[in-house]
Amino acid sequence: MKRFFASDFFYDFVRSPVALLSFLIVLFLVLSAVFASVIAPTNPFDAASLNLMNGFTPPMEPNPFTGDVFWMGTDDQGRDLFSAILYGLRISLFVGAMAVALAAVMGVLLGLIAGYMGGWLDNLIMRFADIQMTFPSILVAMLIFGVARGILPPELRDEMAITVLIVSIGLSEWVPFARTVRGSTMVEKEKEYIAAARLIGLNRWQIMMRHILPNVLNPVLVIATITLALAIIAEATLSFLGVGAPRTEPSLGTLIRVGQDFLFSGEWWILLFPACTLLALALSVNLFGDWLRDKLNPRLK
Amino acid sequence: MVLILLRRLGQAILVLFIVALISFLIFRYVGSPVDNLLSQEATVQQRADLEEALGLNDPVYEQYFRFVWNAVNFDFGNSYRGSLPVAELISSRLPATLELAFTSALFALLLGVITGIYTAIRRGGLLANLILTLSLIGVSLPTFLIGVLLIWVFAVELQWLPSFGRGEVVKLGWWSTGFLTLSGVKSLILPSITLGLYQLTLIMRLTRSEMLEVLRQDYVRFARALGLSQRSVYFKHALPNTMIPVTTIAGLQLGSIVAFAIITETVFQWPGVGLLFINAVYFVDIPVMSAYLLLVGVLFVFINLAVDLLYLAIDPRLRDSQLSGDS
Amino acid sequence: MLQPLLEIKNICVEFKTRGGALKAVDDLSIDVQQGEILGLVGESGAGKSMMGAAILGLIDPPGRLSSGEIWFKGQRIDQNPEPFRGCEISMIFQDPLVSLNPLKKIGDQLVETILRHKRMSRAQAIDRACRGLIEVGIDPERLNAYPHTFSGGMRQRVVIALALASEPSLIIADEPTTALDVSVQAQILKLLKKLCDSRGTSIILITHDMGVISETTDRVGVLYAGRLAEIGITDHVLRSAKHPYTQGLVASTPKIDPDSFGRSLYQIPGSMPKLDAIPTGCAFHPRCTMRTNKCSQERPPMMKDTAACWLLEEME
Repeated sequence: MKRFFASDFFYDFVRSPVALLSFLIVLFLVLSAVFASVIAPTNPFDAASLNLMNGFTPPMEPNPFTGDVFWMGTDDQGRDLFSAILYGLRISLFVGAMAVALAAVMGVLLGLIAGYMGGWLDNLIMRFADIQMTFPSILVAMLIFGVARGILPPELRDEMAITVLIVSIGLSEWVPFARTVRGSTMVEKEKEYIAAARLIGLNRWQIMMRHILPNVLNPVLVIATITLALAIIAEATLSFLGVGAPRTEPSLGTLIRVGQDFLFSGEWWILLFPACTLLALALSVNLFGDWLRDKLNPRLK
Repeated sequence: MVLILLRRLGQAILVLFIVALISFLIFRYVGSPVDNLLSQEATVQQRADLEEALGLNDPVYEQYFRFVWNAVNFDFGNSYRGSLPVAELISSRLPATLELAFTSALFALLLGVITGIYTAIRRGGLLANLILTLSLIGVSLPTFLIGVLLIWVFAVELQWLPSFGRGEVVKLGWWSTGFLTLSGVKSLILPSITLGLYQLTLIMRLTRSEMLEVLRQDYVRFARALGLSQRSVYFKHALPNTMIPVTTIAGLQLGSIVAFAIITETVFQWPGVGLLFINAVYFVDIPVMSAYLLLVGVLFVFINLAVDLLYLAIDPRLRDSQLSGDS
Repeated sequence: MLQPLLEIKNICVEFKTRGGALKAVDDLSIDVQQGEILGLVGESGAGKSMMGAAILGLIDPPGRLSSGEIWFKGQRIDQNPEPFRGCEISMIFQDPLVSLNPLKKIGDQLVETILRHKRMSRAQAIDRACRGLIEVGIDPERLNAYPHTFSGGMRQRVVIALALASEPSLIIADEPTTALDVSVQAQILKLLKKLCDSRGTSIILITHDMGVISETTDRVGVLYAGRLAEIGITDHVLRSAKHPYTQGLVASTPKIDPDSFGRSLYQIPGSMPKLDAIPTGCAFHPRCTMRTNKCSQERPPMMKDTAACWLLEEME
């Protein structure tokens, strides 16, 4: 730990206002999401606690009927927007992080196999990656989402929506991980320590997992950060389009979708606050990811 | 050149067959064609009869080729919702999507190239830096949020432009166009900006970096040393060389514009194929999903092919190396 | 004495960096007579190319001409070099492979240049372009060919045709043969020399190759760390160099001569200083075998119009 604080990396980080600020915002948002149940004044999922009389209360103004004050206002059902945003942030971050984890595990594994084994397996994996990359990942995610809903029985569709969302976004983002890992694996496997490992009789799987994997993981961190921004935006987009998180478990995208409906009747706050939160999250993850890429691995582009 | 074309064509057809395979698998195994044609009370015998009639008991490869053959003849089966032929649904909505995609591509390309050149030539200038900073924010903004914000400002607050639909359209045979009426054109503005903004920033950044790269080349310095005017150096010598990579990327982006149209069409309730697709995903309307996948696949493959051809047309070096057979 | 074609008076080229301004060319004066071929020789980084670019006002930022004057045919041109660029003064760059726009036919490049500087119809310009190509030994049929269909030597011929298209009085040739095969180098130099002789065009030939200097140039200027070390008639300089740097340079040039076979070449000890670490006094003094105390303290001026070295002062 001490070594980390004394490193060039830490020095550059503290010196870069963009990196520091974006990291602090991400940290702040993540902490708010983790402790949502502690911070939030109400539980937005608890239908019993909602008071319809509180519907459409503007921010910072007392409700004319109940006198309650909500500093970000309420939606049509009287749900406190601040609490809804905290819980929505939690879902957005959770889906984003899990999707990236899935994409990273899958991409790293396939990349390792393709790079180390070579031959027809490599061909198969990489050609498939090529074809998938011809399509924008958001479209791939939508397709997987639709197919998954088709396979699930109708009664499970809403219940499993979050899982399905994670799988669809995860499966749509694995290619960059695989391509990078495959490239570095092909470099690593020619090195002498791999020949040595082979000589002492380790099998392929052991060589891949114990020897090559630790040496190709560096760029994965950078790709993961950048993919996290993409995944958060993908989740918000799908939810906004109505094919993501359901209204019973609203993410930031779902909240924005709901907010858009009330734009014309003048309840602007239902849209504005979730939108700003999403913007802050996406922008700061993006900026931090860019900085990380420039610092750790300028060749990744 | 003929050889290389044939090879590209071969690759394209292979990709199409794979996309068709995925599309077929979705059509055949995710959706169950029988369930949607029969009522819940149908007997086992009725089911078996229908399965036989639909050819579901034939070998899989036969079913696959039948699927491809039908698709070539624009027969994608019937939508689960409303039982309309999918081909009819798509063809009635295609003009809306294509007009939207065309307008926003034009907007993105023109403005992207112009601002890209400007920011390259006036490198470090005040306006150039401002444009660059704005573009950074533009890249981070999710498309749907841009759309919603535009609606808020221009449709709700200022009430200058409509927030949904295509406005009045004029029928030209089976094509319906919004270009010919005032309300149609006004309706196009916000969706086109929403759809084109991301591509605009992308094309701008690419044009800028390519232009800066080209301006460093010796032939540009030589052109300057020969006393050619600033304008000629920038636009006759540097720009064509810049446009080669820009054309490639911009061409490929054309495909993603059609795909991203799904988002824009939902925000603006634009009656195109994207909206059709997202509703299909929501209601698990498998035939529509599988047809859309095929359609987009064909489109992407054709765009890739067209970009390759364009590449050959504008770069004499490539043209000759392909002619002489080495590549 | 006749008025020189080009007079360069005390120019400096500076690069602004975070560590302050670096001088790539430092207080350099030189002139070019009508019809002569002036060689500029020096190691890479000595400021030769920078000088060439400075004459045409083609220094890329962050570099700039920070002081001094450049006079051409009695007019001061350093403030506004643009009207002279390509018209009265042309330039040829090092690598012909990248000097031609890959997307334009060579005929179009020629015609564009001719029309830019001469008032004539397009047909006349095409005719002139054909004659230009014939002069450099290229079949005028190839007017419609793209640059990539030519070999390196042929491309440099096209470049020469382009540079001569506007009938300039001065051509700055920046290492015109360095990127070419040795066998082609001599052809190109001969061609350039022949064409310029017949027109009375002067050439500034920038090179690091002493062989090229001895074969082609009338006079030679030796550059070291952005400063002029020595200048004089080529024969004199090569035979009896005054500046120790020039002496080292001449001694370290290989000669094809049976007597010197098997003898190892002379090497100047050390290497040229980087721009941010130029020694005080004479820039060459740390490498000089004949240095005195004065050399490290005071920068030597040009002595007797031949060399910037304190040794010449002592000889008086």
